[in-house]
Amino acid sequence: MNIKINRDTLLKPLSSVTSIVERRHTLPILSNLLLEAKDEKIVLTATDLEMQISLALQTPVGGELSTTISAKKLLDICRSLPENAEITMATAESRIQVKTGKSRFNLQTLPAADYPVMTKATGTTYTVVSIDQKSLKRLFKQVEFAMAQQDIRYYLNGLLFEVNGNRLNVVGTDGHRLSFTSTELAQTYEKQELILPRKTVIELIKLLDDSEEEVTIEIASGQVNFSFGDIKLISKVIDGKFPDYTRVIPVGHKNSFNVDRMTILLAMQRASILSNEKYRGIRMVLGSDSLRLISTNSEQEEAEEELEIAYGGDSLDIGFNVTYMIDVLNNVNCDTVTFSFADANSSCLVTVADDETYKYVVMPMRI
Amino acid sequence: MSLIKLLPDQLISQIAAGEVVERPASALKELMENSLDAGSADIAVTLGQGGVKLLRVTDDGNGIPHGDLTLALTRHATSKIASLDDLESVASLGFRGEALASIASISRTSITSRHAEASHAWRIAADGGLLGDASPAALDRGTIVEVQDIYFNTPARRKFLKTEQTEFGHCEEAFRRIALSRPDVGFMLQHNGRALMRLAPGAAKRRFTEVLGPDFSAEAFELDESAGGLRLWGMAAKPTFSRSARDTQYVYVNGRFVRDKLISHAIRQAYQDVLHHDRHPAFALFLELDPTLVDVNVHPSKTEVRFREGQAVHRFIFHALHKALATPVGLPANGLVPPPVAAPAISYSSGIPAGQPYPRQQGSFDLRANEAPGFYQTLFGGLPREAVDTSSPLVSSGINQPDMQATLAPPQASSGLSPEQATQEYPLGFALAQLHGVYVLAQNALGLIVVDMHAAHERIMYERLKNALDGDSVPMQPLLLPVSFNADRFEVATVQEQLSTPEGQQTLHQLGFEIVQLSPSTLAVRAIPAMLQDADAVALARDVLRDLREYGGSRVLTERRNELLATMACHAAVRANRILSIQEMNALLRDMEATERSGQCNHGRPTWFQATMADLDKMFMRGK
Ligand SMILES: Nc1ncnc2c1ncn2[C@@H]1O[C@H](COP(=O)(O)OP(=O)(O)OP(=O)(O)O)[C@@H](O)[C@H]1O
Ligand SMILES: [Mg+2]
Repeated sequence: MNIKINRDTLLKPLSSVTSIVERRHTLPILSNLLLEAKDEKIVLTATDLEMQISLALQTPVGGELSTTISAKKLLDICRSLPENAEITMATAESRIQVKTGKSRFNLQTLPAADYPVMTKATGTTYTVVSIDQKSLKRLFKQVEFAMAQQDIRYYLNGLLFEVNGNRLNVVGTDGHRLSFTSTELAQTYEKQELILPRKTVIELIKLLDDSEEEVTIEIASGQVNFSFGDIKLISKVIDGKFPDYTRVIPVGHKNSFNVDRMTILLAMQRASILSNEKYRGIRMVLGSDSLRLISTNSEQEEAEEELEIAYGGDSLDIGFNVTYMIDVLNNVNCDTVTFSFADANSSCLVTVADDETYKYVVMPMRI
Repeated sequence: MSLIKLLPDQLISQIAAGEVVERPASALKELMENSLDAGSADIAVTLGQGGVKLLRVTDDGNGIPHGDLTLALTRHATSKIASLDDLESVASLGFRGEALASIASISRTSITSRHAEASHAWRIAADGGLLGDASPAALDRGTIVEVQDIYFNTPARRKFLKTEQTEFGHCEEAFRRIALSRPDVGFMLQHNGRALMRLAPGAAKRRFTEVLGPDFSAEAFELDESAGGLRLWGMAAKPTFSRSARDTQYVYVNGRFVRDKLISHAIRQAYQDVLHHDRHPAFALFLELDPTLVDVNVHPSKTEVRFREGQAVHRFIFHALHKALATPVGLPANGLVPPPVAAPAISYSSGIPAGQPYPRQQGSFDLRANEAPGFYQTLFGGLPREAVDTSSPLVSSGINQPDMQATLAPPQASSGLSPEQATQEYPLGFALAQLHGVYVLAQNALGLIVVDMHAAHERIMYERLKNALDGDSVPMQPLLLPVSFNADRFEVATVQEQLSTPEGQQTLHQLGFEIVQLSPSTLAVRAIPAMLQDADAVALARDVLRDLREYGGSRVLTERRNELLATMACHAAVRANRILSIQEMNALLRDMEATERSGQCNHGRPTWFQATMADLDKMFMRGK
């Protein structure tokens, strides 16, 4: 069995699927990807047993092939070959030869039949949701940074993905801050929610582009499928109950002000230089028409930034982990942000001017 | 008809013996304690067949009056206390009045004693608890208690006896414990007709050396700390002398050997920073406090105590020992005359016959630790790693540190210090070279110094990080999503207790915690220390609650913080194969001299050793 393919055609799809292959694995076949070519079409599939990406390319390959091969090595080979190189791949017994010009690579293979392919759950009813790539990517990026990393509350190591009526809500939280966003859907659905694993979210952000092209999302129990362009992504979902975000998002905070996002972001970054490096505290001191950002480290060095704002609310002196503030300011894409407070012990709400659905909640720190 | 009967006296004593006389060694302990209580100055112990056949304790104490002999062997008869008040302030080792009766009930026991004022001695014997009559006997002074055939009349117990060797081992350990506690008393131990130990009365240090071995006392420091009516004294080994077993750990409360969780915990924590976790420190420590503040009536074997103010005791012991470990005392003030140490086996490619001790020393030096000036200062102030690089000489870098020249250059080149002065001032001497990118070789007046540069630098960085953060308040991070958990009864009770007083609430807050009760078996963590915000809140809260319950306070957070700092220190420290200039090496030596605990790396291994000229001469067989 052998095929021919252009190096440049293969390279990008190959690196897309390879990114989910775990570097170290106890199961050798999981470091491989599944390569299937037939009828002028080539399909690359990679999995880590939690999620799977397959990518189908319509391209004349002039033959058939079905095997599994080290994803990392194949990618390294393709990367280092000259542009537009014509590659031939031929299998013989448990080996594959990758050849172009005077270069020849003989690699081991494992049988395609042994590859643990994830298939669409059968017999369950799907909810099918459509949304354009650009919007979905934006939603993920607005909340992804607030997800937990490796929390023992495993359900926080992912995003809540909730379809309710004609809205799609996406929420991330690590227990200290919470990021919420939402968009309108073309259709109306019964309420349905799932938790997307962290890794799936991060891969999706990489794979989605800024086009208007449609993503089809199929929600089944225990599994969710995303199809867009040449890509099909199947992911397990995190089994657990996501915290009730509606109880965390405050309403009616009366002390609020608007501020230019870049101005306050840069001020925060400067002030953070002298915040205690272990817990990164910063004080926001609000007075009439003024906001001061103050940080002190254990050496009693102090930084102070003063910003002019329009503010007529209560005088407040309230501490925060500056990282949480810098995170949100870095990740929302707009010019003006709004901060709202109740008092020094309650959570702070950050919203943005041109997207009224977006909400970021963060707990103050008692410094 | 009556089913419930009063037990005969002898049986009662035999039941009591189950607890008091667990094995021959426990009987020996009771007999020796009685001798000490009687004011003896000399105590001789004779054992036969591991103490099973014979236990004889001869003393020169006050003796027992003729009329009291029978009472001495009677249950609940004691001369040591008479009222509850006496019990609460008991200073003698015995007070229950049942040891002799219990021992007599399961052996053949005899007492020969001459009271100080009596004209001659009397002897009384008991066979399995059945008392005979007292008869006149010959004895100059004091008391001889002889116990033969332990458990001869309780075969079930007898079966639990181990081999003679094992039982003897236990007796020897009991002897050791008591001998350690009273250096002012002479002791003698004989087994199967052979004299094994003869300890003359004298100074405590000498007793420690005789009982715990010269290795221990060479590597241990003496300490004596008092505060608020508490005193802790004794000897504790430097962390480099750690053991893989807990075999050299002796704790006494008011002269009584005890096993106490609270004290062990405090000691372990004091060593925590300098000892690898699977190593055990070695020590003999004596806590003294007002007897009314400690309850010794906890267990029939009298080896457990309960403190009225456990929290204060825990804190005191921790601080006393922690301080002593940071600043080893008991060495000459200008100290590079470290005690000799038994060498770990090192093999050499040539010259030295295997197994011959190599001159290897880990001493301590005059610490000149300065006050922590602050975080960045402490981090980067003392050791200008970058600045000292030859390419940017410090002198010209404009840093105003007048004494830098002197400390970074050998004395000849600078302020005209004599070599002796230089040693006093710079005990670690001056760098000669770097060996394979791993060790710094330096020379001081005594000879050669070898420093493990990564280990030493890691310790310096770690101490700096700690200094910079100590004394900071603990900022609290309230949780957006409080974490609730199923708590056990103790955890719930601890939270309730804590929240019921303002002090309790404050303790929790000072630790950076807010914990509330949601239901009879659920607690919720509402805030955690900001520095540990990525930690598992529930596990952290549980650890803190456990410590609060058992020790009244908690160092869990400091420990966790220190773990973080240790990792940071490891990353910040110079790695092997980094080539250091002579100036950088000298700066490192100066920093070591100024840093607490710099003799051990963060895992308790030594960071340097000295080979003196004499040691080297010996290696080359010079001057022989
Ligand atoms: N070696 C001794 N020299 C003088 N008196 C002794 C000696 N041994 C025992 N006695 C006397 O006999 C009494 C009974 O001793 P016993 O050991 O049974 O009780 P205790 O020491 O009072 O209390 P405990 O049961 O706690 O040891 C003591 O109170 C003491 O008066
Ligand atoms: Mg007694």
